[in-house]
Amino acid sequence: MTILRLLALAAVAGVLTACDKSGSNAQNERKPADAAPDAKGIDAGPVPITTKSGVEMVYLPGGEFTMGTDRGDADEAPAHKVRLSAFAMDMFEVTHEKFAKAQLPNPSHWQDNPQEPVERVRWRDAKRYCNERSLIEGLKPCYDEKTADWDCDYSANGYRLPTEAEWEYACRAGTEGPYDFGRADKLRQYAWMADNSDQKTHPAGQKKPNGFGICDLYGNVSEWCEDVYSPTYYKESPPVDPHGPPNPGKDVKRVIRGGSWKSSPERCQATARLGERTGDTDACFSTDFCGFRCVRRVTPAELQPLRGPSGKT
Amino acid sequence: MRTTLLERPNPCATVSNRPAPRGGLRKLFTCFANLLLIQLGASFAGVSADAQTPVRELLQPLGFKIAYESYVDGKSDIFVMNSDGSNPVKLTQTPAEQEHYPQVSPDGTKISYVSDVGEGRDTVRSVYLMDIDGKNRKKIADHAREPFWSPDGKVLGFLPQEFAKFDVIDFATKGMSFYDMATGQILPQVNSTNLHHLYNPSWSATGKWIVATVHAGMGFDHAILLIEARGTNIVDLKIHGCRPCFSPDAKQVAWGAGDHELAAAPINLEADRPAVGQWSVRIEDETNKIYHIEWSPDGQFLAFSRGPDGKGDPTKPGTHQAAAEVHGVYAKGWNIGVVKTDRAAHLDLNQATEADLFMLTTNGLSNKEPAWFRPRR
Repeated sequence: MTILRLLALAAVAGVLTACDKSGSNAQNERKPADAAPDAKGIDAGPVPITTKSGVEMVYLPGGEFTMGTDRGDADEAPAHKVRLSAFAMDMFEVTHEKFAKAQLPNPSHWQDNPQEPVERVRWRDAKRYCNERSLIEGLKPCYDEKTADWDCDYSANGYRLPTEAEWEYACRAGTEGPYDFGRADKLRQYAWMADNSDQKTHPAGQKKPNGFGICDLYGNVSEWCEDVYSPTYYKESPPVDPHGPPNPGKDVKRVIRGGSWKSSPERCQATARLGERTGDTDACFSTDFCGFRCVRRVTPAELQPLRGPSGKT
Repeated sequence: MRTTLLERPNPCATVSNRPAPRGGLRKLFTCFANLLLIQLGASFAGVSADAQTPVRELLQPLGFKIAYESYVDGKSDIFVMNSDGSNPVKLTQTPAEQEHYPQVSPDGTKISYVSDVGEGRDTVRSVYLMDIDGKNRKKIADHAREPFWSPDGKVLGFLPQEFAKFDVIDFATKGMSFYDMATGQILPQVNSTNLHHLYNPSWSATGKWIVATVHAGMGFDHAILLIEARGTNIVDLKIHGCRPCFSPDAKQVAWGAGDHELAAAPINLEADRPAVGQWSVRIEDETNKIYHIEWSPDGQFLAFSRGPDGKGDPTKPGTHQAAAEVHGVYAKGWNIGVVKTDRAAHLDLNQATEADLFMLTTNGLSNKEPAWFRPRR
């Protein structure tokens, strides 16, 4: 774990400042990384990549980590080992600008700045965006829109919502505490939350990224995950690539992870869990702290051509 | 069923059963008293008959009809039935199209509606027009939805889709267009470029205002707005809910105040800043969702859709998954009901009698979006 942590720090050294910029063009002004891993580091540390449609992501090699905690809320226990396959995760939450590229009606409360994250997005709308982005990039969509839950094909190479385990793996960035950066009093540097948000969302990437170079995991908007929420899931979760419990069929909630502009510091912790109704039966879903980001399966062979300027060795 | 006073014993019979008073004067007085009682009784019975007569019986002599959408035999179609629920007739006969959201012209001779062709995000939704008997079907615009009529029937308004790619959610609109029935020309509303994410428009009988819902657009979180039909004024009515509809005399507006609540209230459209007054109608249903409220041509009745919460059914061809009240979404168990406005000051549908509520449809086959009209004779 320590080696992974060191490699991770080295890999993302160049993008550590990427998120910590103000202004709507923060993402475009990012300088190329100067300390990304070399080719043999692909399997060892995170690698910034740029997708065909220009979306910045971070490739995360597979690995094992401790999920959950025995020192938090009941639904975060027990802490348990989970092994994950490699995947890539969006460096930023999906913004208004990106959402519009999928030709989806934007339900967000705040739409003044195209670089702010979408919110009030239903779980299914987030999945629809994933499929659209897959089609735009010529990838195989993960979601079967003809099934009741839009079942996920995890073997497809298209975009999807992260599993809860993937989200926590990315957020903890090789650490085991509630925040990967250490002390809680640093949280304001990493997250828009109730204390500093002025009760609204902010442009993506203005705060410091986490140890894997991913921005706004701790705040701005909370993020939909693929999994059905169950407070007892950790007691029965499989040890490899868990996808959440089966759909109970009634009163289904899906997992949302990460803090938001209205969260307390405790709610922003890497292990904090929440279940939220998906909004499927609500024509005017109004959960204005709920956004998302995408992940996708990336093989080492696919990785090389995606390593753009910021991922250049 | 409540017993009406008309069915109670004749007050004269009661009088005749009383002991006969003695003396001529007494006889005269008794006769006068009996006549008075009869008159009072008849008068009382008349008022009470109106208040207690089943809604269905009140509707039958009026001769109104209702257009609506229903999903039967694997597709959505436009139907017309008598306003007492009898004689449903399917008007649309296109096997590859899903037709819904009927809107009848003010003179009752034409129906506008939307038709969906294709699947998923490749669906093309178009606004159509046809005669009231289903003949002379004509496409008005592709990638368009939510048609609505001007009060004189000379203009058919509709809302262009925001994107070419389809999304079933009703607020996926950008702008507003007017189709001229005489010339066939389509022109944007003068403030069209500033109109975004509107849905369910309804044009007032005065002609000046269009009322519609906005969701996440035009700087509004969610609101019911008055939009000046031929101008740029916009007024936030500051009422919670969606899917507003003007009464035929434009003196009231009805709307969905929540998933389980419908409302109506007076509105003064002649004021500089029209505002909604105290609620005159409040209809509740704790069990079912209630949506799509619509006034009868005489303003005396309100029709609406009613059914359980749901998110569509992916096994139903040509439908989409979203909240059941959204048109284009199969709404299992949904039916159309009618109430009388003056009996709905505060009406709980789960406690309603036949004098309060009449369900026009009962088959639960996604019956939604009722649109009243007075058939032309």
